[in-house]
Amino acid sequence: MKTKRRLILLVSVLMTLTIALSACSGDKEDSNASEITIGIPQDIEDTLDPHKILAAGTKEIFFNIYEGLVKPDSDGNLNPAVASDYKISADKKVYTFTLRDGVKFHDGSTVTVEDVKFSIDKCADTSNGEPLVAAFSNIENVAVVDEKTIEITLANPDSDFLSYMTTAIIPASNDKADSVAIGTGPYKYVSRSPQENIILARFDEYWGEKANIEKVTLQIIADSDMIVMNLRSGAIDMFCRVSAAQAAELSGTSYKVLEGTMNLVQAMYLNNAVAPFDDVRVRQALCYAVDRQEILDFMADGQGTIIGSSMYPAFGKYYMEELSTYYSKDIDKAKQLLADAGYADGFSFTLTVPSNYQQHIDTAQVIVEQLKDINVNAKIELVEWDTWLSEVYSGRNYEATVVGVDASQLTASALLKRFNSEAGNNFINFNSKAYDTAYANALAGITDEEQTSYYKECERILCEEAANVYIQDLACLVALSDRYAGYEFYPLYVQDFSKLYIVE
Amino acid sequence: MKAILKKLITMIITLFIVSFLVFLAFSVIPGDPALSKLGTQATPEALEALREEMGLNEPFFTRYFTWIGSFFTGDMGTSYSYGIPVSELIMDKLPITLVLTGIALVIMMVFTVLLGIYAARHEGGIIDRILMVVNQIIMAVPAFFAGIIICFVFGLILKWFTPGAFVSYEKDFGGFVAYLIAPAVAIALPKCAMASKLLRSSLIEQGNMDYIRTAYSRGNTTKGVLYRHALRNAMIPVVTFWAMAYTDMIAGSVVIEQVFGIPGIGRILLTGISNRDYPVVMAIICLLALFIIVANTLVDLIYKWIDPRMRDNG
Amino acid sequence: MKKKNWNLILGTVITSIMLLLIVVGFFFTPYDSQQMNIDLKLASPSLAHPLGCDHFGRDILSRVMEGAGTTFFVAIGTVLLGCVIGIIMGAVTGYFGGILDEILMRLNDALFAFPSILLALVFISLFGSGKYNVILALGIAFVPSFARIVRSEFLRCKSLDYVRAARLAGASHLRIMFVHILPNILPVLLSSLMIGFNNAVLAEASMSYLGIGVQPPDSSLGMMLSEAQTYLFRAPWYVLAPGVAIVLLILGFALLAESINKKK
Repeated sequence: MKTKRRLILLVSVLMTLTIALSACSGDKEDSNASEITIGIPQDIEDTLDPHKILAAGTKEIFFNIYEGLVKPDSDGNLNPAVASDYKISADKKVYTFTLRDGVKFHDGSTVTVEDVKFSIDKCADTSNGEPLVAAFSNIENVAVVDEKTIEITLANPDSDFLSYMTTAIIPASNDKADSVAIGTGPYKYVSRSPQENIILARFDEYWGEKANIEKVTLQIIADSDMIVMNLRSGAIDMFCRVSAAQAAELSGTSYKVLEGTMNLVQAMYLNNAVAPFDDVRVRQALCYAVDRQEILDFMADGQGTIIGSSMYPAFGKYYMEELSTYYSKDIDKAKQLLADAGYADGFSFTLTVPSNYQQHIDTAQVIVEQLKDINVNAKIELVEWDTWLSEVYSGRNYEATVVGVDASQLTASALLKRFNSEAGNNFINFNSKAYDTAYANALAGITDEEQTSYYKECERILCEEAANVYIQDLACLVALSDRYAGYEFYPLYVQDFSKLYIVE
Repeated sequence: MKAILKKLITMIITLFIVSFLVFLAFSVIPGDPALSKLGTQATPEALEALREEMGLNEPFFTRYFTWIGSFFTGDMGTSYSYGIPVSELIMDKLPITLVLTGIALVIMMVFTVLLGIYAARHEGGIIDRILMVVNQIIMAVPAFFAGIIICFVFGLILKWFTPGAFVSYEKDFGGFVAYLIAPAVAIALPKCAMASKLLRSSLIEQGNMDYIRTAYSRGNTTKGVLYRHALRNAMIPVVTFWAMAYTDMIAGSVVIEQVFGIPGIGRILLTGISNRDYPVVMAIICLLALFIIVANTLVDLIYKWIDPRMRDNG
Repeated sequence: MKKKNWNLILGTVITSIMLLLIVVGFFFTPYDSQQMNIDLKLASPSLAHPLGCDHFGRDILSRVMEGAGTTFFVAIGTVLLGCVIGIIMGAVTGYFGGILDEILMRLNDALFAFPSILLALVFISLFGSGKYNVILALGIAFVPSFARIVRSEFLRCKSLDYVRAARLAGASHLRIMFVHILPNILPVLLSSLMIGFNNAVLAEASMSYLGIGVQPPDSSLGMMLSEAQTYLFRAPWYVLAPGVAIVLLILGFALLAESINKKK
């Protein structure tokens, strides 16, 4: 009898425990404060120091916390931010900035010229080898003129230099920048819990137009398949960059899907140094064999922008729309080119794709099918992002890969520099004398027009030489709950939470 | 006593082998933690400097012994991807996984006993048959798929919980536990099916034993026989199954944490592996291994204690 | 006994259907399982495509037939690999005992303590992805459980009369181990083989879900299932097809294993 009683006791205790634990939920903290929960696909980096972060996913969030002397807007213009005004000398060597009055850091102190000088000096410091911001190696001198004015002198003229002045200004007094985030942006950092969330709060002493929503919770959703589930359940109010398939799953719900562009160059990047891709005819044949429109149709029901070179539409004047139709699907021509190159019977190659990007995997699968038409057998090999970085990107030990390349600054050189035959990050081993010359001319160009025309020549060379099989600038779809509005697309890889507001 | 001591020694040896295998595995897989940290912007100089700073340029055995030495003094190093001590990270995340698997364990035990006894008492009845079929089907569903179905049915249609709306235990303990019930059910279901099946057949087997027949012939009631004599013996294999099932649940929580968006140990482990966050991964694996080895040793000892026949050929 | 063995009947029927689907799928599928067709993207079930089409407009029935074949292949490969190594390890350690037993069993314990997901990930990072590496990774993860079973059976058998008799008759160790003892433990082994098969199918599905399983253009049921869940709301039939196929594959073997246990 003892066993029975014990057992019943045990069961009832356990049951009560379960019920009691589940019952004491309910009362949540009062929801007077306006807030929004935004899903993000990965956690931020280990450091909170804006100058040390490298991951695009961290940078786009820190855009809300930190600001530079100038700040890009959603049209791609650089507007004064911490500085109220700037002057550029005619020879493009001296940049003079006037500080804005009363700009406050998140800790309540006022921004001084010393803080600005400290931030720039920190990023230009070469004692550890390369400076934190590569373009700052060109800085000759940073001089404090008076309480409100700072003057930066360059060794060589650089017309793109202003775009690097978006570099975050942080207080000189913060010696724990790795773990304490103090910036001047519309939101201040509150806390983080690894793999769970990051919490931001509105900065009420912001110098400009203050943010609308008081509290932003960035919830990490590691499993992309659960994004739709979490949106539908109401666990998150917004997710930037849902796939077209996910967007379609949201139809008929209280979510709207906003469409912009992803601002990256998605292509099948070819290692130009290995056979058979060292032959321009083979590369061109691949370009003719791929039907870009079909890729867009499969992946995003036709959304996205077909591109023909390493440049996307958000760049405005640098973008050359005509290149997107330079190669159109032509199987006969492709076969002819292959035959000319000595591959009449086709060939096989391995297509290495990072496994964490579904859009690139999908594109690769369609390309593999399309290439079968010209007897080219591609075999997909999925690798982890980390392996991709070491084997493909730095090791250059691959044949072809499908990824998207983005620009860190809104300057044409951010996208085109890497194809210089000497560039350290020229992972496709592109080697063209004509390109190197054109690129050098663009950098040396005095007038804006001159530079633009040389950059365009670079783009044309990449297209004609078929450096890569350029595909598209992917559609960027943002899922946003009906209760919110005000989302703005930027031509850069950033998210601006300050413009979001609650619809009454 | 000697047997226990021997067990303890072999346990420690096993742990050493595990730690060495883990360390070896992470030294040979491609992917460089320094490069992983620097990403696409890495310059050769910066990379070399960071490798030096992270101690990646030391010889293999030096690194292994440095690591294992500090591990035993409680210093598990600093996480590459979160910049905080690994021990702090684990202390922060371990309660989540423990509560999750704890709830699952309770659910499993309660339902095993209820279903197992019911099925055994009504052996061959219609409910028993239905239960058997349902059990078989539950065991055939992949864990992540079961999780998705639970999210879909109980989260989206019935709205019993909000998939993805995890709350931290520091903020709202009740809400935290409430959120963990659905994933705990997903973890417990297949184990529950197996355990109740085991208990049922074990009870039926006991029912055919001589001593039970004797008890009946003495005029005991069915109930009395079932609980007083049969259940006690029938529970022995079930309890050992529970112990093994619990270690399985901890390993299986990796998948369920992913489905339900729970930032527990499993999630940290998985992201740690893909980010090459070695200190975190090695610490978690070694702790998991420690846990599993201790659990297995305990089960072994219990076995020996219960069944003397096992004693002489340990 | 006049009671019909329903487990055996049902198990045989389900397993035969699945095996038939797999064998037929090996030689013939209604459509080319790789052929993409934009007009049929997520088409619902119809006469031409009884299970509908996936997000690339590929025929789901053809893909399930092929995917079931891959899953079957991976599961069988895993179990065989784990079983063969497990039998050798278990037989040697159980039969001889001593220091060799100690060493091998410690290694076994160490392997047992490794979460199989990590083991799989290490393998896949080392040797690249694909079904053979999945088999290798899972197979090794399955060794300890087989080794344990075989070892304890050998321990039990080595002191039995027929083994003693064989030894007196001058039979070699190898002969005793594999000719005299092994056939006697086959029934035990067979049911753990079937359970192992089911675990392998489930493990493959979990690996596919975590993105480290079989890689395209190969397709397995697990991979199809994890791909399909993105379309849960728009094309539920896409999720249903591989899901039901996995359940049936496992169910069939589980019922067979059950009926073997009963007979014993």
